[in-house]
Amino acid sequence: MFRTEEMDINMGPQHPSTHGVLRLVLGLEGEEIVDVRPIIGYLHRGVEKLSEHRTYSMIEPLTDRLDYVAAISENLGYCGAVEKLMGLQIPPRAQYIRVALAELQRIASHLLWLGTHALDLGAMTVFFYTFRERELILDLFEQFCGARLTYNSMRIGGLLEDVPPGWTDRVRHFLQIFPSRQKEYEDLLTVNRIWLGRTKGVGILTKEDAVALGTSGPTLRASAVDYDVRKALPYSSYEQFDFEVPLGTTGDTYDRYLVRMEEMRQSCRIIRQALDRLPEGEVRAKVPKYIKPPAGEVYHVVESPRGEQGFYIVSKGTEMPYRVRFRAPSFVNLQALPTMCRGRLIADVVAIIGSIDIVLGDVDR
Amino acid sequence: MADEQDGKGDKPAPPGGAPEATPPQATPSPEASAAPPAPKPPPAAPKPAAPAAPAAPPAAPKANPLTAPVPSIALDRIREKFSNQVVDVVYYAGEVTVKLKQERAEEIWRFLRDDPALRFDYLSNVTAVHWPERPKPFEVVLHLFSVGTRQRITLKLDVGEGEQPPTSSRVWPTANWHEREVFDLFGIRFHGHPDMTRILMTDDWVGHPLRKDYPLEGKPEDHMQLREVTTAEHVYTFDKSTIKGFGWKKEVEKTGEGRG
Repeated sequence: MFRTEEMDINMGPQHPSTHGVLRLVLGLEGEEIVDVRPIIGYLHRGVEKLSEHRTYSMIEPLTDRLDYVAAISENLGYCGAVEKLMGLQIPPRAQYIRVALAELQRIASHLLWLGTHALDLGAMTVFFYTFRERELILDLFEQFCGARLTYNSMRIGGLLEDVPPGWTDRVRHFLQIFPSRQKEYEDLLTVNRIWLGRTKGVGILTKEDAVALGTSGPTLRASAVDYDVRKALPYSSYEQFDFEVPLGTTGDTYDRYLVRMEEMRQSCRIIRQALDRLPEGEVRAKVPKYIKPPAGEVYHVVESPRGEQGFYIVSKGTEMPYRVRFRAPSFVNLQALPTMCRGRLIADVVAIIGSIDIVLGDVDR
Repeated sequence: MADEQDGKGDKPAPPGGAPEATPPQATPSPEASAAPPAPKPPPAAPKPAAPAAPAAPPAAPKANPLTAPVPSIALDRIREKFSNQVVDVVYYAGEVTVKLKQERAEEIWRFLRDDPALRFDYLSNVTAVHWPERPKPFEVVLHLFSVGTRQRITLKLDVGEGEQPPTSSRVWPTANWHEREVFDLFGIRFHGHPDMTRILMTDDWVGHPLRKDYPLEGKPEDHMQLREVTTAEHVYTFDKSTIKGFGWKKEVEKTGEGRG
């Protein structure tokens, strides 16, 4: 007469906690999650196909729109890939400015993540605090290149322009006030009992699973796997900077939170070093007007705020690439979601999605 | 940086069969990071290049630092164990690309993952490239990384039209979604894949958009599904003659067949 039955429930694609158009089909037994099937592609714009029909310089604005909350990292990775393909040497000043920009972008991206993640879990105050500081960073970007989200700020061979006068002082000012602001978020969350209850032990990803599923970035490092592209395969002269790679211990949602908080501190350290040792000189290498790399192929990876951002470019020696593949960290990290969710409750799914920090523009490309 | 400039300046011509002769080094350079290639000159290169005068001169002006061979333990190990499975080796910008035969691919993958000296436990990326003019028109590309030893290697398989290459998702579970995407966009079915369904395009999509013969703006029949959009007053119809761009013609008439 009474029986139990598995039930499928649809979550999204219009759901505030999925941070975009992500649809999840949850297989439930009671309130416990048996399986999750993410359904993606709602934001697929065919960027890889478009790239095959554009010149190398015309692709850069497209990369802005992949991971639109961390466009600098995409620019950096794409330009780096083409430069590698052409065998270009980038002037040290440009490399240092790129590093400073990428790290500012990392802080901005983590602030957006922290605000929305906390908002998902019911801590609304943090959202207003983090957006206050994110605004400061966006202002810095606006002063640098005139845009607030889709910067298109780099060029193959370096940068379009040097930083405007006084910009480094404004960055220094930001670095001065940021640590105390970060302490405010931590006061609100790190030892907050509700926060601990919602995140500790939730969505555990073991070390073995994290590597086997190819996750990267803070999601991987929270599971105590020491892989940061900036250290492992340094690019844009990251080997000259002194910073640490924070690692988690258990791989739960709380660890991913701690890792990102520490990453913001390390990013501040890197920016400070970049500004202190900023070399003089050109910001763009001598590049031909029409960029025509020799036939060949490269796979170039950078550490975006979300993880390993890969760019695979096949050139046939023409003005347009023959094939471009964007290895999106969000796409791969999202694949680990079912593993993290099994056996948890629906409310935890919200916490776990927040903690892997996906951007649907990056997932669907 | 200084190291790179050295490498760039006086790069010797890559001698003919150097890669096999290159002894495995203690610390392999995993990849010439971001900055342009800094391949270390192969140890035995300068000396033999000079006496081989007749053969060298044509190659000398072509000596390109981008395509210079770099030492790779992984390649040496593959050659040692599966010498007859290696079809081709390409060096570019400090990266090593090895093309393998399909038959024993899974065995080689497992070997690469489990060999204590290599430990390629991290599959970065799986993708494909379409070369319509080749007899086997597809290339499946795997980018491997080793978290422990920080090496990188690129593996390739040639795949013919309708052929089913082995899935790598049994070796690295992360390949599951990557291979679904390759199936979705190229139409390559992987043998043994647990869930060979479309991932980015809708399930009822016809065709595989990243193939070279698939037009950039889609096929006419793809537009046809949007053919009839009824609003309050108008029916917008799609005219095949205006296919350039999104040449929609606003007409107040209904036309015949189309998809769906």
